[in-house]
Amino acid sequence: MSKAEILEALRQHPFTHDMDEAWKESLAEIARLQTYAPDTLLLREGRAADAFFLIVDGLVAVEMFVPDRGSLRLQTVSAGEIVGWSWALPPYRWEFDARALVETTAVVLDAAQLRARMSQDCALAAWILSRLLTVVAGRLKATRLQLLDLYAPPPERRPA
Amino acid sequence: MVSLGSRTLTPGQAWRMEKTRLQELLDALRRQGYTVIGPRIRDGAIIYDEIQRLTDLPIGWTDEQEKGYYRLKRREDETFFGFAVGPHSWKQFLHPPIFSLGQARRNGQGFEWTPSTDPPPRYAFLGVRACELHAIAILDRVFMGGPYVDPVYRARREAIFLIAVQCTVAGGTCFCASMGTGPKAPPGADLVLTELPDVFIVEIGTERGAALLAEIPCTPATEADRSVVEARLEETARSMGRQLDATDLPALLYRNLEHPRWEEVAQRCLTCGNCTMVCPTCFCFTVEDVSDLAGAQAERVRRWDSCFTTAFTYTAGRPIRQSAKARYRQWLTHKLASWWDQFGTSGCVGCGRCITWCPVGIDLTEEVHAIRQTDSALTSERR
Amino acid sequence: MISQATSSPVPNLFLPSPFQVTGVRRETSDTITLRLRPPDGQVFSFQPGQFNMLYLFGIGEVPISISGVHPRTHDLEHTVRAVGYVTRALARLRRGDVVGVRGPFGHGWPLEEVRGRDILILAGGIGLAPLRPALQYLLAHRPDYEQIVLLCGARTPADLLYQPELERWRGRLDLQVFVTVDRGDELWRGHIGVVTTLLPLVERFLDMRRAVVLMCGPEVMLRVAVRELEDRGVPAEQIFLSLERNMKCAVGFCGHCQFGPAFICRDGPVFPLPRVRSLLEIREL
Repeated sequence: MSKAEILEALRQHPFTHDMDEAWKESLAEIARLQTYAPDTLLLREGRAADAFFLIVDGLVAVEMFVPDRGSLRLQTVSAGEIVGWSWALPPYRWEFDARALVETTAVVLDAAQLRARMSQDCALAAWILSRLLTVVAGRLKATRLQLLDLYAPPPERRPA
Repeated sequence: MVSLGSRTLTPGQAWRMEKTRLQELLDALRRQGYTVIGPRIRDGAIIYDEIQRLTDLPIGWTDEQEKGYYRLKRREDETFFGFAVGPHSWKQFLHPPIFSLGQARRNGQGFEWTPSTDPPPRYAFLGVRACELHAIAILDRVFMGGPYVDPVYRARREAIFLIAVQCTVAGGTCFCASMGTGPKAPPGADLVLTELPDVFIVEIGTERGAALLAEIPCTPATEADRSVVEARLEETARSMGRQLDATDLPALLYRNLEHPRWEEVAQRCLTCGNCTMVCPTCFCFTVEDVSDLAGAQAERVRRWDSCFTTAFTYTAGRPIRQSAKARYRQWLTHKLASWWDQFGTSGCVGCGRCITWCPVGIDLTEEVHAIRQTDSALTSERR
Repeated sequence: MISQATSSPVPNLFLPSPFQVTGVRRETSDTITLRLRPPDGQVFSFQPGQFNMLYLFGIGEVPISISGVHPRTHDLEHTVRAVGYVTRALARLRRGDVVGVRGPFGHGWPLEEVRGRDILILAGGIGLAPLRPALQYLLAHRPDYEQIVLLCGARTPADLLYQPELERWRGRLDLQVFVTVDRGDELWRGHIGVVTTLLPLVERFLDMRRAVVLMCGPEVMLRVAVRELEDRGVPAEQIFLSLERNMKCAVGFCGHCQFGPAFICRDGPVFPLPRVRSLLEIREL
């Protein structure tokens, strides 16, 4: 896994593809390419949020473990998307699990180092946070639509 | 062109007919097999039903109409048609309120239909006002002007004999002048009567009208007669009870679909649907299937319906237009705006019935005026 | 009553013909697909996207999209979800029963006009039913079209329609199929999320700005999807939606199905987006 491979992955990934080349190179230094076998966790609820995942290939499920119901799958995230934003906000702790459903490859950025670079480079911070906000907004919108349960059978309101 | 004796009658001519000779006109129509429908008094209102004698007509009566108000009053003269329109319109004879489409019976292949074959009656309408002629033309476009033709409407419409009467009295809620639908009768009637103090001036509209009038002794109308008719029509046009500024009305309503006025009128509207029943152009109906207790025979019936009912837009479990606001808005914007997109004219002919027969006195000329005053295009609130 | 007018019986515009039920397939707990055969060996032709009024003797009639044609017998297929009085009765039919059919009505998908284009199909819930005959047509004329992508959303894995067929479609190399559910189950290892979350995956297969989009589903889903497609630069003229409203006559007279100035039975149910774009944003229209 070479820096060149990582750089290429950053160039291809929708989150970073139009980022300044200089920033891409900087990020490539603090990143690694990781493959996850099916059913392995990328991150776990309660643990320190120490990484930022750009999914290159595969399918990841956001889950929550519920006693007597086991791990419940809430949403999935596909190739070309990102997993995790808790690394960007105190207390830097994961709130959910993320599990690979199939073999999944991701560019994994070291969160501590990324935060350090962001605190030194405001422009980089603004760029990343703005993109993150767009992703979070999209996830929230999709989640609200999921909540509407639009395919549910209609309520019976006609009088007998 | 019809010749009788030394007279030649053609469409476009005007003749003078003694008022009492109207009876002969009625008799001639009945001899030809027509059932004559005209205005008569029942239950305190002037409605349309079969007439046979002149005395069936509301001679010497007039009506007082205001929003939510209708009263009959005796006139001081014996004018035959000295009133405006009542709660009935001609649509009930062309687009029946209840009509059985057919009966189905179970058989080896499932079921078999016996379509209703009762031949429709042959009507002559006496006393059709200009607004009503426009309304009939509008219904013609609705039921016969599209990709499908309604056989029920067409069968009734084809044979109608139309005798129009030009209004010499404007009603309290009338606004045909604003809508360009009167008081002068548009083409389409077989005969057009204008009532003067001692005679009817009869204008011939069609060959059929000429043939009928040929049986009645008349004298040619003079230029002076024609002038009097014109003058009476102008006077009537000037004394309308209501006015509606119809300038760019569809655009006005389309850009004000979220105007607060709709909420305001919804506070008053009972969604009773009276307006849709009395309106001469409202055409919505429903189709119902009923079966006998044994389930051996079923009937399909079509029946007038109204967009004001909650069930009207019931789709997969719930009504789309639930609030009174949505239903009132639908009715008014359909009538004054979407109708143009659908049929190329306004749906409103300015007859004022909806204003008179609304139990809470909602007046659509007021509603349109209110929206125009605070039109969203005037304010800086743009979407 | 005096009557000299010509007798004119009401023709079949309003009266359904009896079709035989030749098969019933259960799709989900509340949805079935009926297979219908016309009487007397008649051939029933229709365009994908059109609908019929289905009638049950003495009970009533409902508009149901034609959801396909059986490949061997050419029997007509209708997918019915039991949500009301008549549809619940339709869902209880058995082979050999008789259903009244009036139709076909309405404008279907513009499949001939979009030959040579990439096609993106977006189906939500039972919205897949009127899109299925479109897909059957596209696959039967596969060389006439470029990339075809199907995005399909359902409530849960058990609510997916046409599951055996979905599997077959997924197996084809000349068709991209993505399926998602709002809520998974213990066995589901696929996408979870509303169907619009699949849109980013499409970019790999076709240029959305040049694709033709065919959509059907709950109106909220359509509203949201329209905005997402617009954000991705898809021109409105390339987007087609199938809408529904209460219908009684199905021929543009009874007024029930009006959506703004459009009669859905006659001007739709398939509409090019420009015709209905502004109407979608108005509440309780």
